[in-house]
Amino acid sequence: MKILLIEDEKELALSIAAYLQKENYRCEVVFNFNDAVEKINLYQYDCIIVDITLPDGSGMNVIRILKKNKCETGIIIISAKNSLDDKISGLETGADDYLTKPFHLPELNARIKSIIRRRSFGGVNEIVVNEIRILPEQMEVFVNDSPIILTKKEYDLLIFFLSNKDRVLTKESIAEHLWGDEMDMADSFDFIYTHIKNLRKKIMEKGGQDYILTIYGMGYKFTDS
Amino acid sequence: MKLLTKTSRYYLILSGIVFIISGLIFYHLLQRVFYTQLDRTLKDEKLLIEETINYSDSVPDFRTIFGHLIEVTILYQPNRKAEFIHDTIMYNGEQGKFLSYRHLFAENTSIRNKGYTINIYKPLHETETLVAGIVIVIALVFISLLILLVILNYIISRRVWIPFHRILYNLGSYDINQEKPLKLVKTDIYEFGLLNQAMEKMSNKIRQDFINLKEFNENAAHELQTPLAVIKSKLDLLIQHENLNEDQLQLISSVYDATTRMSKLNQGLLLISKIENEQFTTKEEINLSQVIDKTLEHFEEMIDHLHIEVIKNYQESVIIRINRILAEIMITNLVSNAIKHNHQSGSMNIVLTSARLIISNSGQPLGVDPDDLFERFRKSGTSGDSVGLGLSIVRKIAQLYHMQINYQYADGIHSLLLSF
Repeated sequence: MKILLIEDEKELALSIAAYLQKENYRCEVVFNFNDAVEKINLYQYDCIIVDITLPDGSGMNVIRILKKNKCETGIIIISAKNSLDDKISGLETGADDYLTKPFHLPELNARIKSIIRRRSFGGVNEIVVNEIRILPEQMEVFVNDSPIILTKKEYDLLIFFLSNKDRVLTKESIAEHLWGDEMDMADSFDFIYTHIKNLRKKIMEKGGQDYILTIYGMGYKFTDS
Repeated sequence: MKLLTKTSRYYLILSGIVFIISGLIFYHLLQRVFYTQLDRTLKDEKLLIEETINYSDSVPDFRTIFGHLIEVTILYQPNRKAEFIHDTIMYNGEQGKFLSYRHLFAENTSIRNKGYTINIYKPLHETETLVAGIVIVIALVFISLLILLVILNYIISRRVWIPFHRILYNLGSYDINQEKPLKLVKTDIYEFGLLNQAMEKMSNKIRQDFINLKEFNENAAHELQTPLAVIKSKLDLLIQHENLNEDQLQLISSVYDATTRMSKLNQGLLLISKIENEQFTTKEEINLSQVIDKTLEHFEEMIDHLHIEVIKNYQESVIIRINRILAEIMITNLVSNAIKHNHQSGSMNIVLTSARLIISNSGQPLGVDPDDLFERFRKSGTSGDSVGLGLSIVRKIAQLYHMQINYQYADGIHSLLLSF
């Protein structure tokens, strides 16, 4: 899986690259528009993460070049501008997703996975972790081949965990993934706990293992090792 | 009191005083002139009488000659000579009443060696009538002149002050939030021109400061996003390390919390400055009940978790013209506010009519002054994690669409009323 990251803020770019490399992606990083254009004209990528404001050009033009070349690449915009117009024009130009800075790395990771899943036509479009099998298109979950009924939020939570397997997910990033930015509540974290407990219970009822570890004071981790 | 009324009033009062004083002086002068004239006539008549007596050596009936009362008597005690003129009152038989007269009294011995007493009475009331007549005519002329002057002054002043009133009106209707600069008024009056210049200079300065401030707010919030993104991403990497002990995790967790709050704060401030800069221009017909239901669905798990009972009372489907994003933010903030400040097994009551939306919730009494509730960073002590921008964002949005937002508290129920 090849990913191109176009981001002029070096420290942020390095963090993203470090996080994604652990997913066994080959992540290439460029810090400006010209290098980005050179790269996309030379190589094929599965997914491109692009910042809109670059020192020597607009990330929007990178997307336009990709579309002109009829690339099948997945495109995610990351931008400090949280404006609807930018979001709409970005998506209309051909981006698949739009993420506003500052974001959680697991969130970006989950979005990349989702795009890659959607784009892998012909391939087996399902997520399998041991006895858990998910058909993302139908939003169906099976444990040991028997279906389990999850609420929308529980399903999203499970996908978020599976996208970030073996990673610590903070309560904040989980809350933000499920409820968005407006989650600004004091006791919201208790109730994330309740939520996770429910998900665990539903999986274990069908004979699944308990994969979700609690990391003291921090959050949770989905791991099968 | 209006400037024009005030000047007109002063003008009238002062003119009146001048008019009364000058009127009195005029009256006295006029009277003196008439008296002098009268006295001279009396003396002339006396001389004429003396000459007549001297010439004819007899006393004819002077009354028929002069037409007014003249008494001439022979004086038997000679060697007396006296003369004076004074006012007197006498009974007038013809008119049957007392009238005032100017009376000349003279004693003379020099006429053919005989002495005579001469009394000439000239009626004064005719003179008085004349004086009064003249005074009245002059007063009428004066008063009409005064009225004319006041009216003219009023009209001229009004015309002259027109630019001033325009300047005032423009100042009053000047809205710093709008792009338009202060409207200037064309005038050929030097002072108003100066006023215009001063106002223009001042308003430009204020506008520039205002724009700078807004830009600073937005830029500051915007520029903070990138370092925050770096911190957040580094923390996300840091917590993936396998061999962190509990103390370290605790420290990282604190930093993480603070960063999250800062990032939310920043987003809130950015949103406020965007609303202030009117960056949400598009409007569409929004069905509020749909937005509320969607928001409630979004917070369903949290509402269930706290066992909050939600009572909905939508009286009709309410449609308002508003920006969709702002409508969603406003409703989300109101609903999340009602959840956040609620307690376990509390209640939330939503009433929607075509005129207003009321969201009430059970909860502890306010820890802050209700008047400060919509100010930035005012928050009740009970929820320390909130950044305290939610309601101030709601108010900003309400102001943008000229809606009213009010807070009420009664019997443990907080209500937020939004009137469209």
